[in-house]
Amino acid sequence: MRRAPLALAVLTGVIGLAALPVVTPSYYASLMIPFFGYAIALLGFNLLFGYTGLLSFGHAMFLGFGAYGAAVLVGKLGITSFEIVLLTVMLSGALVAMPIGLFCVRYVGIFFGMLTLAFGMLFYSFLFKFYHLTGGDSGMRVPRMNILGLELSQYNKIEFLAGPFYYYSLVLLIIAAVMMWRIVHSPFGLHLKAVRDNARKAEYLGVHVHRARLAAFVISAAYGAAGGAILGFRVGLADPELVYWTQSGQLVFMTVLGGFSNFFGPIIGAFAFTLLQDQLQSLTQYWRFILGAVLAVIVIAFPEGLAGLADSLRRTRAGKTA
Amino acid sequence: MVAFANILVGGVFHAAVLFLVAAGLQLVFGVQKIVNLACGSFYALGAYFGVSFVAYASAAGLSRWLIMPALLVAGILVGFVGPPIERLLRSVYGRDESFQLLLTFALVLMFQDVFRFVWGSNPRSLDSAYLVYGVINARGFSVPVYNLLVIAAAIATAAGFGAFLQRTNYGRILRATAENRAMAEALGVDVRRLYAVVFTIGTVLGTTAGALVVPTAAASLDMAIDFVIEAFAVVVIGGLGSMRGALAGALIVGLIRAYAIVVYPEAEVLAIYVIVIAVLLMRPAGLFGKQAS
Amino acid sequence: MSLSRRSLLKSAAAAGALAASGDVVAPAIAQNKPVRIGILAPRSGIAAAPGENGIRATQWAAERFNAAGGIAGRKIELVIEEETSPKDTIERFSKLVQQEKVDCVQGIISTGVGLALGPVVEEARALTIFWDGTTQDGVDEKIPNPRYLFRSTDNECEAVMSSLLAIKYWKGKFATVAGINPDYSYGRNNMAAFAAILNRFNIEHKIVTEQWPKVGTMDLTSHVAALKSAKPDLIFSSLLFADLPVFMKQAHAAELTKDTKLVLPAAGWQHTLMKKAFTPEGILFGHNTFYFDNPNASPLAKEFVGWYERTYKDYPEWEADRAYFAIASYKAAVEKAAAAKSGNWPSQNDVIDAMAGLSVESLGGRGAWRKDHIAEQTFVQGLTTHNNKYDFVTLGTFETMYAADLQKPPGANFWDWIKTAQFKI
Repeated sequence: MRRAPLALAVLTGVIGLAALPVVTPSYYASLMIPFFGYAIALLGFNLLFGYTGLLSFGHAMFLGFGAYGAAVLVGKLGITSFEIVLLTVMLSGALVAMPIGLFCVRYVGIFFGMLTLAFGMLFYSFLFKFYHLTGGDSGMRVPRMNILGLELSQYNKIEFLAGPFYYYSLVLLIIAAVMMWRIVHSPFGLHLKAVRDNARKAEYLGVHVHRARLAAFVISAAYGAAGGAILGFRVGLADPELVYWTQSGQLVFMTVLGGFSNFFGPIIGAFAFTLLQDQLQSLTQYWRFILGAVLAVIVIAFPEGLAGLADSLRRTRAGKTA
Repeated sequence: MVAFANILVGGVFHAAVLFLVAAGLQLVFGVQKIVNLACGSFYALGAYFGVSFVAYASAAGLSRWLIMPALLVAGILVGFVGPPIERLLRSVYGRDESFQLLLTFALVLMFQDVFRFVWGSNPRSLDSAYLVYGVINARGFSVPVYNLLVIAAAIATAAGFGAFLQRTNYGRILRATAENRAMAEALGVDVRRLYAVVFTIGTVLGTTAGALVVPTAAASLDMAIDFVIEAFAVVVIGGLGSMRGALAGALIVGLIRAYAIVVYPEAEVLAIYVIVIAVLLMRPAGLFGKQAS
Repeated sequence: MSLSRRSLLKSAAAAGALAASGDVVAPAIAQNKPVRIGILAPRSGIAAAPGENGIRATQWAAERFNAAGGIAGRKIELVIEEETSPKDTIERFSKLVQQEKVDCVQGIISTGVGLALGPVVEEARALTIFWDGTTQDGVDEKIPNPRYLFRSTDNECEAVMSSLLAIKYWKGKFATVAGINPDYSYGRNNMAAFAAILNRFNIEHKIVTEQWPKVGTMDLTSHVAALKSAKPDLIFSSLLFADLPVFMKQAHAAELTKDTKLVLPAAGWQHTLMKKAFTPEGILFGHNTFYFDNPNASPLAKEFVGWYERTYKDYPEWEADRAYFAIASYKAAVEKAAAAKSGNWPSQNDVIDAMAGLSVESLGGRGAWRKDHIAEQTFVQGLTTHNNKYDFVTLGTFETMYAADLQKPPGANFWDWIKTAQFKI
């Protein structure tokens, strides 16, 4: 990908997102908070899927971990700084992901998918069942936190979400994206791609396949927990439905919608899906059917997703002028 | 002793239904390497269609005694959504298996609204017409004869499949294609037609399971999504791609669940996952599966 | 002929700020504009059937009110969104309030969603009436002293009433008790309430088994087997989704229901599926706040049931009454507040003040709003009979009790209240 047009596109995106709360109705600003949460989580998810070739169908468990982690840290332990909560859930998410990852990355392909689905549902059952600890189906409250040490209590939660927290989340997304960019373009990232393309060959070349996969798994878990903390903050509640297997399916949907072979695909996918679901739900009560049809069309006809569409449009245009 | 017998029969009944769906899953995966997330949707489709079919047939004068054959017919009939869906899946055959998985997930989403659109949001059920076959009641032990018939049907299916795969020509071709598609194709097997047949058989197994179970239960909007988990647990425990695995996995899940319900009800749901993880720790490929690379 | 309209209004950010200010005063010009009521109800999944009941009842009520001139002269317009998960429902709520600018939001059946939405309602300062979903756990810490939120009667009212009636009818006739309840907050609280009331009245009993099937499980044969082997004299079950008729069917087949007393506080949600073929007579059956075949029903209720039967070939259950109570009490509050302002359209605060303490005639009987914004309604439960023209069971004998006798007073703790309350039996 050529540098200048890419940088321009990214800059346009950032400016667009920054301008959104100002030019669109206030509803859309708070609608976009989950987008930021999902975008960060999906950056991590795609490290595992797009770059390492492992499709996890239980990734929602890490988002749930982040949300419940926030609930416990703020609600039970009284921590009020969102930064501390964020870092703590990311670290503990990574720690928890290690034994799970050790177990799961022994497998590839469909086995990996089914195992992660099983672990995700195990976590769901745990959250639902041990209601004395987790609140069961009622979930756990995620009280409001400070960002950058500021309480900003002059804003009620709605204004807070559409205003300061929106920009804060945008900055978080930029930081997360920059970090992921570095990871993906590092030697480690190259190792992952090698493992994805041909694990045996990578092994011969000296790449520790299992270790690489495990590292990708752990990093994706940390990103997932971060996204989950943002989601939990927005909703004000951490509940088991966040972790159900269809939510994991939705994460995959978003990634594929945006384009999993493109670095920005997950972000585009999260954005497009959030808007799409919002508009569809107001349009018809059969929005699930339409979403399913959209996914089917993408998988069959546009596997490179929206990012791939944009790429091929650019290429045909470049081809015309060349 | 009587209590034990009741629990055993209850567990085996649940296992019988699980086996039918799992067998479909295993067959399709073994031959085509597709994991069908929509297996629960086929199960629900069979249940819903079974209710409508029997209600219609009864109104048209069908004898109560024919309710089980009627349900079998209903299950097989609606299983013929298989071929068109297989055509759809065919468009992603060559590609990464993730795409196939995702396409079946898209089907799950679409089917949810199809059920609601066609059958409404109320659960649909048949009244206790299935009790026409009688209930065996002996000193506290009781089981509807219908349940035993369903168990018998599952056993017959298992035996029939075993014979089919081992002893018939077509079964041999099927196993060969499962082992090595390219070789089979080179030897002249019309793989595309084979795939269509296999997928349809898998679908029919799922829809028939749903149709057979519906008299004792009900068809509801949630059943498709909930069922996937149990079906997958069975398949993972038994080993992907193995018919014997389907049988073993179904029996293990059905019986342990029944046992847990009686001895430690709180553990009912968690028991399944514990078994899954325990089996995988000891035998990573499942009980009868081939080693994963 | 539905009044529901889903439109996407574009509005300036300034209007959004107005909505957040909490005190929406409509100018006189607005008299000709419709009153917009947002509805949030489940349309898919296990709660789809009651969600549909509620939506239909709201549509019927709105049409009826409009035919008589609307609310204080303005026609009602419904904007229907779907209740799904807590996160998505909060978003639909925000859309209704910020984008669609509805005057009132009504709906919500699930407890989890209600608990998540409560604080959002207060932050948004948007008058909202919940149909359902008021369980004990965590209520006080999550939504203390709401101003804009009006919540339904406690979810445990039906359990309390069933427990009292079970004691009244069957005291001395049962020694062993079993429970089979859905494994989530509602089921747990119902069973615990039953046990607590038995203890309160010093009823000798032994709990021989407690089954906790996963919510919505369709295969209950093992649970039935476990119940049979425990040989209880009485079974308490707050199963209320599609699993309830399945349980009855399977229990009947296993002859569990022959000599066992059954207490089913929430069976009314599935009443048309409780067929005579497998549901015995003489069991305690709860219809919550609406029993469709009540011979003492008001003409209004009879008209509603007749309309529902003609239009949908089905019979409504209590969620329809919860929905009707919400829209009817809203109408009454608005009209009361308008009258106090000599016909000018009242502000949201006026409506809230008018609604607290207000009493209306709902489909199931009298209902009212307490000062702490919890509803009070009339509950009906009784013993089943096969003597009717339907293929499902109805109530042969029944009693009504008012919520004031069934739910804890403002500020009290539910479990403490049970130990000391003066119950009327």
